[in-house]
Amino acid sequence: MRKRALVAALGAVGLAAAIAAGASARSSNTTITGAGSTFVAPLVQTWIQPVGAAFGDTLSYSPIGSGGGIAAITNRTVDFGASDAPLTPDQFTACKGCAQIPWALSATAVVYNLPSAKNNLHMTGSVLAKIFMGQITQWNDPAIRKLNKGVSLPATKISIAHRSDNSGTTFNFTDYLSAVSPQWKSKYGTGVAVEWPVGSGGRGSAGVAALVSQTAGAIGYVDVAYALKNRLKFFSVQNRSGKFTTPGLRGIAAAAASDVKPAADNSLSIVNPPKRFELAYPISTFTYVIVPLSSPKAAELKKFLFWAVTKGQTSGPKLLFQPIPKSVLVVSEKTIAKIHA
Amino acid sequence: MRPRGITRADIATANLPRRKLVNRVMEAGATLAAVVAVGILCILVFSVARRGWSELNWNLLTKTPSTDFFGDGPSGVANAVAGSLVIVGLAAAITLPVGILIAIYLSEYARPRVRSFVSVMLDVLAGVPAIVIGIFVYALLVVGSGSSGSGWDGAFALSILMLPFATRAVQEVLALVPASTREASLALGVPRWRTTLSIVLPQTIGGIVTGGTLAVARVAGETAPLLFVTSIVDQQMHWSPSHALQTIPVTIFEYSEQPDPKLHAQAWAIGFVLLLFILVTNLGARALAARNRRRLTGR
Amino acid sequence: MASVEAQAAPGRRSLGGRRRRLGDVILVGAAGIAAAGAVALVVLIAVKVTQQAWPAIRHFSLGFLTEQSWVPNVGHEIYGAASFLFGTAVTSFVALALAGPLAIAIGLYLTELAPRFLRGPVTALVETLAAIPSVVIGLWGILVLGPFLRDHVEPWLHGVLGFVLLFGEPSSSGSGIFTAIVVLTIMILPIVAAVSRELFLAVPRELKEGALALGTTRWEMIRAVVFPYARGGIVAGLMLGLGRAVGEAIAVTQVIGGITGTSGVHWNLFGNGDTLASKLAASYQGATTHLQTASLMYLAVILLVFSLVVNLLAQWIVRRFGRSGEQAGFSKIAAKSQTAGAAS
Repeated sequence: MRKRALVAALGAVGLAAAIAAGASARSSNTTITGAGSTFVAPLVQTWIQPVGAAFGDTLSYSPIGSGGGIAAITNRTVDFGASDAPLTPDQFTACKGCAQIPWALSATAVVYNLPSAKNNLHMTGSVLAKIFMGQITQWNDPAIRKLNKGVSLPATKISIAHRSDNSGTTFNFTDYLSAVSPQWKSKYGTGVAVEWPVGSGGRGSAGVAALVSQTAGAIGYVDVAYALKNRLKFFSVQNRSGKFTTPGLRGIAAAAASDVKPAADNSLSIVNPPKRFELAYPISTFTYVIVPLSSPKAAELKKFLFWAVTKGQTSGPKLLFQPIPKSVLVVSEKTIAKIHA
Repeated sequence: MRPRGITRADIATANLPRRKLVNRVMEAGATLAAVVAVGILCILVFSVARRGWSELNWNLLTKTPSTDFFGDGPSGVANAVAGSLVIVGLAAAITLPVGILIAIYLSEYARPRVRSFVSVMLDVLAGVPAIVIGIFVYALLVVGSGSSGSGWDGAFALSILMLPFATRAVQEVLALVPASTREASLALGVPRWRTTLSIVLPQTIGGIVTGGTLAVARVAGETAPLLFVTSIVDQQMHWSPSHALQTIPVTIFEYSEQPDPKLHAQAWAIGFVLLLFILVTNLGARALAARNRRRLTGR
Repeated sequence: MASVEAQAAPGRRSLGGRRRRLGDVILVGAAGIAAAGAVALVVLIAVKVTQQAWPAIRHFSLGFLTEQSWVPNVGHEIYGAASFLFGTAVTSFVALALAGPLAIAIGLYLTELAPRFLRGPVTALVETLAAIPSVVIGLWGILVLGPFLRDHVEPWLHGVLGFVLLFGEPSSSGSGIFTAIVVLTIMILPIVAAVSRELFLAVPRELKEGALALGTTRWEMIRAVVFPYARGGIVAGLMLGLGRAVGEAIAVTQVIGGITGTSGVHWNLFGNGDTLASKLAASYQGATTHLQTASLMYLAVILLVFSLVVNLLAQWIVRRFGRSGEQAGFSKIAAKSQTAGAAS
């Protein structure tokens, strides 16, 4: 009696397993998986629904940081990777036949948590570098007060929040700091991860936003969409022409005008644009999708990417992603066309 | 190792008031320690319950995470619940038969030296940190596979974690079956394998069930083995193990580092559900196990 | 078992029957393969992890263990484990120092002092503490414990004991080595308590009653009889707790802050830190170069060796110093620690 029950139970389990296997075999939607930059995640997430509606493909994106994205596409555990930092020659070699394609354009906001202060306090590059080097430690430091006359700043300690993972946003921010501070450039340089002298690390832009939200007196750097989402205040940063600009669409577009021709590897650099770009926000950046030129999902990828760099750009502005300029679009489309099965 | 021995100084009665004081202090200290431990438990459980309460509604279990960056509208962690059910269920289905086989081998067939060697190895396996197991499975199965991980990989990682525990539990129950039962069966001419499968094993079914339940309760909350095989997932419902599946512990982990208070609340809520599940299964399985043990040994 | 086999064998042989022998062969074969598979799995884990770490092992060899920097800058990468070894050692040993005495005291309470009707429930409650998933404890650590320590405990400690290097500048975010120590203490506590309780229960009543009959107070009896009797097992239990603390990745990475560059080895308990396990959890996925991946695997190898050494040491201690009951029961002790919770 007991044995029969046992056999019946085993049979039921086996049947259930067979049904599950059958169900999985029946699902036929192509899934396009991607991973990487948290910077571009807000934009890519808005694409999931329209891509499903337009092509029937399921788009799935995991924001694990630019470093994670590069690693994932190199290991081919995803169909595309996303990175704000352009690939180095070594990474191109390791990726074996990958192309990087600029597909979005936005800016890094320098956010702060100071309940008593207003939004968009003024900041310059050299003061910012000193803050991140730990040389300025309090909000009421004379250097900060000088930039914000008429604003009363408390004696709160400044806590720095930076990225703990390999991040394209870090690359963009440190690229800017290196451009405006020779001391930063020689001691810490530019990179997806640097030896931050002070501060706590958060994982992903969301992690940094979390740190800043929870710590009074904190300063950090995130993609501007995260500043909007979490209602974080951000600095108005002085550009080379002397104007204090915010990471809005106008500032980003002006910055993009400073480098209209992608290099041979499709990278662009629009950090700290020259004086004549008066409206430019100096910490703007393009961000790239990394795809293998030979992919089993070539057809779907091409459809998706062509859509992303054209129609997809229209959902950008409300998240402060400026549509990519025509000259860059042409190069992107040419590279996308090279993807083959 | 004999006890240290009681010396005259210990019981010199002239010292009695002081000795009594020391004793009182130590007893108070031990009681305080127990109070602290129970207190910590209560603080933790109440903390989780209180904070999760606001998000604890049906949406949590039936809706998937919002794909809108500004995240309005009802959202939940249904895909994580589904993924956890599938992965943990598969892990149990893989581990239990293997654990039973190994336990049978160790308690019925193995020579003493082999038995102690395998036991040592199982203890070693139990001592491997879960994060290393996760990295091992990732390096073995995911890298170069063309996919970002699947439910099978997660189930395999969890089953490695469960195996020493499940084997130990089955061994304990097998040991409770009196040798006289086995001997009687063998004396009657029943072959060894038949004795094991038809006589000994059925008596242990209750113990195996409770042991399996305890094992499930243990791995239901494990995050580290799943961190790498399930971190690249989409937000849709999947029941198929060949897909990358989101799980409850990994969701809690990811949400805990986000700035959005709504995600925090969801993390508390699903954490509370997970906690309740683990606590109820734990306490229930223990009660069942105690009853089984009384039945088996009392007979 | 052996005697039963000897008795059964003649009967089996005389009754013959290929069917019976085949059944035995199949069962023994399947069970033996399963057992061999488990052993092979352990070996496979060690081999695979070492193989993945090999490029880093070859590149850095043992200097890795003393190198404090961890700089993933492409072009001038430096990797070293010293900061993480330091973090692992500090967090685990301090947590053990805090949790150990507390847990032993709880074990004593549960076996000697508690009223009979309380023993069962309180034991269940203490063991329930071990069942709480580490990710939930980490969530609580980030959102509740961290801010509490940051706002109330750390400034007070810094104010009162600030002259000691250990209690330096309080953390601004609530994350740091101190928070990680508190979290680990909570996690080790139930394991060591459960093991201690098992050991104290095994002390023969005659010995205890004999001491009491001679006029010792309860505490003196514990010191003279219970502790010496259970000495080996207690040490083994402490080592199991240590193993748990060393291997804990999730809750620690949630609350420890994480270090970059060379800031790992410092004496301020309130500052950020990283352990071997927490670094693996935080970084493994985003490694951008082969050397970085291999270096992380090297950390995993170190962690694995550390855990194995602690585990085997615990087993050896019981075998060498434990009473015969404990030797057979080490597996039971280990099982206790497994039911209590495992490294996650």
